[in-house]
Amino acid sequence: MCGIVGSIGRGDDTVDVLMDGLRSLEYRGYDSAGIALGPSMNVLRKSGELDALAEVVNANEPTGTYGIGHTRWSTHGPPTDRNAHPHTDESGRVAVVHNGIIENYAELKTELEGDGVTFSSDTDTEVVPHRIAQALDDGDDPETAFHNTVDRLEGSYAIAAIIDGEETIFAARQGSPLVVGVGDDCTYLASDVPAFVEHTRDVIFLEDGQRVRADVNGYTVLNADREPVEVAIETVSYTAEETGKSGYDHYMLKEIHEQPTALRQCFSGRGDALDGTITLEEIGEIPQPDAVQFVACGTSYHAALYGASILREMGIPAEAYLASEYALSPPPLSLGTLVVGITQSGETADTLAALRDAKSRGVTTLALTNTVNSTAARECDHAVYIRAGPEIGVAATKTFSSQLVGCNLLAEELVDGPRDLRPLIESLRDLPDDVQSILDASAAADLVEEYADSDAYFFIGRGTNVAVALEGALKCKEISYEHAEGFPAGELKHGPLALVTPDTPVFAIVTGDDERAQKTLGNIKEVQARGAPVIAVTDGQSAADEIADETLTIPETTRRAAPVLANIQLQLFSYHLADVLGRPIDKPRNLAKSVTVE
Amino acid sequence: MAPTTETPLTSAVVLAAGEGIRLRPLTAKRPKPMLPAGTQPILEYVLDALIDAGVTDIHLVVGYHANRVRSHFGSTYRDMAITYHTQTNQLGSGHALMQARDGPSGSFLLVNGDQVIDSEIVEAVSTTHHTAATLSVVEGAEADSYGAVKITDGEITTLAEQPASGEFRLFNAGVYAFTQDIFETLETLSVDRGELPLTDAIQALIDDESQTVSGVRTDSFWMDATHPWDLLALSRELLGRGWVEPPVDNDDCYVAETAHIHPDATLVGPVVVDSDAVIEAGAVVGPYASIGSSATVGAGAVLQDVVIDTDTTIGPNTTATDLVVGQGCKIGGGLTAAGRPTEFVLNEAVHSDIDLSGVIADRVEIGGGVTLEPGTLIGPDATIGEGVVVHGRINAGSEVVR
Repeated sequence: MCGIVGSIGRGDDTVDVLMDGLRSLEYRGYDSAGIALGPSMNVLRKSGELDALAEVVNANEPTGTYGIGHTRWSTHGPPTDRNAHPHTDESGRVAVVHNGIIENYAELKTELEGDGVTFSSDTDTEVVPHRIAQALDDGDDPETAFHNTVDRLEGSYAIAAIIDGEETIFAARQGSPLVVGVGDDCTYLASDVPAFVEHTRDVIFLEDGQRVRADVNGYTVLNADREPVEVAIETVSYTAEETGKSGYDHYMLKEIHEQPTALRQCFSGRGDALDGTITLEEIGEIPQPDAVQFVACGTSYHAALYGASILREMGIPAEAYLASEYALSPPPLSLGTLVVGITQSGETADTLAALRDAKSRGVTTLALTNTVNSTAARECDHAVYIRAGPEIGVAATKTFSSQLVGCNLLAEELVDGPRDLRPLIESLRDLPDDVQSILDASAAADLVEEYADSDAYFFIGRGTNVAVALEGALKCKEISYEHAEGFPAGELKHGPLALVTPDTPVFAIVTGDDERAQKTLGNIKEVQARGAPVIAVTDGQSAADEIADETLTIPETTRRAAPVLANIQLQLFSYHLADVLGRPIDKPRNLAKSVTVE
Repeated sequence: MAPTTETPLTSAVVLAAGEGIRLRPLTAKRPKPMLPAGTQPILEYVLDALIDAGVTDIHLVVGYHANRVRSHFGSTYRDMAITYHTQTNQLGSGHALMQARDGPSGSFLLVNGDQVIDSEIVEAVSTTHHTAATLSVVEGAEADSYGAVKITDGEITTLAEQPASGEFRLFNAGVYAFTQDIFETLETLSVDRGELPLTDAIQALIDDESQTVSGVRTDSFWMDATHPWDLLALSRELLGRGWVEPPVDNDDCYVAETAHIHPDATLVGPVVVDSDAVIEAGAVVGPYASIGSSATVGAGAVLQDVVIDTDTTIGPNTTATDLVVGQGCKIGGGLTAAGRPTEFVLNEAVHSDIDLSGVIADRVEIGGGVTLEPGTLIGPDATIGEGVVVHGRINAGSEVVR
């Protein structure tokens, strides 16, 4: 998703600071980038990779002692040089970068065009510099021009602007993330902390409606009424190097291998194996909800499916909803319903919208997230952290595993009544080592050699393994660009079976040896009868490994923990498939890490 | 003109690519630097010593099961940046160092990632380094097992890899400082016998009239684990010194905040219980017990002089002394593993009077009521059935039933 950076007080280092900042936001995904510098009002922008912008920067040697920068992920208009940010007014007095969507841009544009302004891009952003310029012409000072313009904007946005003749960066947050970095004699702005964490760890997480004025003397945070407000400076704990690849070829592989550590952190201090209890300190006592509605997108939605499934098994009516559908067609809910948003970044626009909708209807909301102080964590009544550590690869891996553990912790915390949790606690404590044993000995890379040129890849499972099948397929399509679909195994013969051929390997997730496993064995035979090779992901308790053509083995564990392990094998298969196919694994085309627009 | 350093060196290369063949079967899935010193990997102690001595730029040479090192440490340790260099084939310490050639600029430290060292040794080498090479020298009876040295007026005059017994009292503790010239020296040497040891390069520097190799005598703490049973001595030493991570509780009991100790369990210090470990009712743990992260000690178990690595479960009513257990083992109730001085044959060398009841490698499953005869070695992923009396060596992945 789009990324904003800004820096003032760094003198001649400004260009480097901005370019390094943009590089640290690369993980968010982008298709063009640019910078604007003051007081020169030099603006350079380029579609494509950051290296393309770096070439332009090297060729032009722009000067400046403060500036703003942007990586753009297209929403309005294709990824071209002219649609890249920063955008300026006709005279080049104002440069603006923007994340999010300005919903009333059409109205503003008509107004401006009526006044004779000529637009040079297809973006919604461009209305902002033109409006500011118009206000300047009307006699406003730069700061008033900025505020008056922001007052007119509707929608969700984070905006930063520089204005000729004023050695200041102006910024505003409404619905899109924006953080301020407080350095010694300098101030930074960014969509996310990694952009400036190598310079400072003192951070202000802006609230919606807040604005910032930063100059060489420091910064002032203002509310929407333009009054200065007191804000807390927080010290973030992670360092710039933590976002490095640790010698792995890709962030995704690094993050796959970090799962034992991530799972250990997720569970640490939350389960007591002696008295068989699970406690989530951060939420205290929440009364048992009458029902639970999960809202989430993408991989997090698959975790939500899993979470809903285990809650239903515990007797609580629970459903998982795609957040993008939920906000527009909200399902009925009673006041005793708890709405749980699962979002890695805590900034996913669709999930935030769904949570806000639920909150507006008066129910309790809870965020299950990886990001402390994220918008979801702050806006919900409660937040539970999965503690997976920073995840940079666009394809989520370790955060999914930790979300599944988080769902277990949450379910056990929410549901009252005595029960012996020792077997579950034991299996969750064993997860790090069980995952390590898969990482040490997985056959997934060898399978890729055999199946890399297949027509499509299908994934089937039942019960909680449906979530694994869907997630396995999503991972496969995201990073390998190959056609992949996941189905509940029982649905095969109601349609998808028509797609199955000898060139479409089917991954069957079969754990335990209950009725679900037995029925899935039947489905394996069904697809084998159509000539498809079957790869069983199994713990060896059923006969799946004997029937299937290939086996990816996982250690035996409880039914709750097995999906985590099965998913690891599928992550490894997708990773190695994409690697063999030469895909840009950490930055798949058209995708962004956290989707902060609806 | 020889370079001089007035301030401590800030870059270090750490060799962490080796398997540690003599520590098999514990090293089946991880390199020796990742074996437990108490409850932490040996390599953590090495990095601690470097950072305490002022190092801010760490270069780790990894090879054998490199991912285990990478995923444990990530890109930083105690906020210091780690850069990884991969040695694909393990062709000796000199070859390993060559992999980090693009790493440090200027003079740098070099340490072994598999020996616990005191930061004072690093400081001593770091601050006295002013010649082509500086190495730490310690005195001890172990000179026969390590590179022995002779030193005259602070200059190393002789380096002997495998000296005749008793000939030397001083040896090379494996903490070095070099200038960038070491890389050129290494380049001139051929990979002999399939290996390029670092000592060949140091020997070349000693032979070179224009170069000086300095030695720094130190009596600070230095400890290696060569054989599996050495992990017990290492753990004992670290516990005795209080060099363990969780804060001391009382009576030399180091218990992590997230560990769960049943009120009816007894800890006898010195003992360390790491994060999320569980000690059930009636268990008596220690003295000299290291219980790793997320490990479980069952009710009524009595453990003394043991190293229990992460995620391992020790069944109830187990009695064990002088036992090393790897990661992720599931040990049933009533295990008996009592050490008494015993004779050990490892790689055709006889080691006598070793206090070791057994070594259990990673992810071994043991049924109830099993007895380990002193000196038993169980390979990784092995399964031992109920009631078996085990002795000798059990191969990886094998199944033993009564």
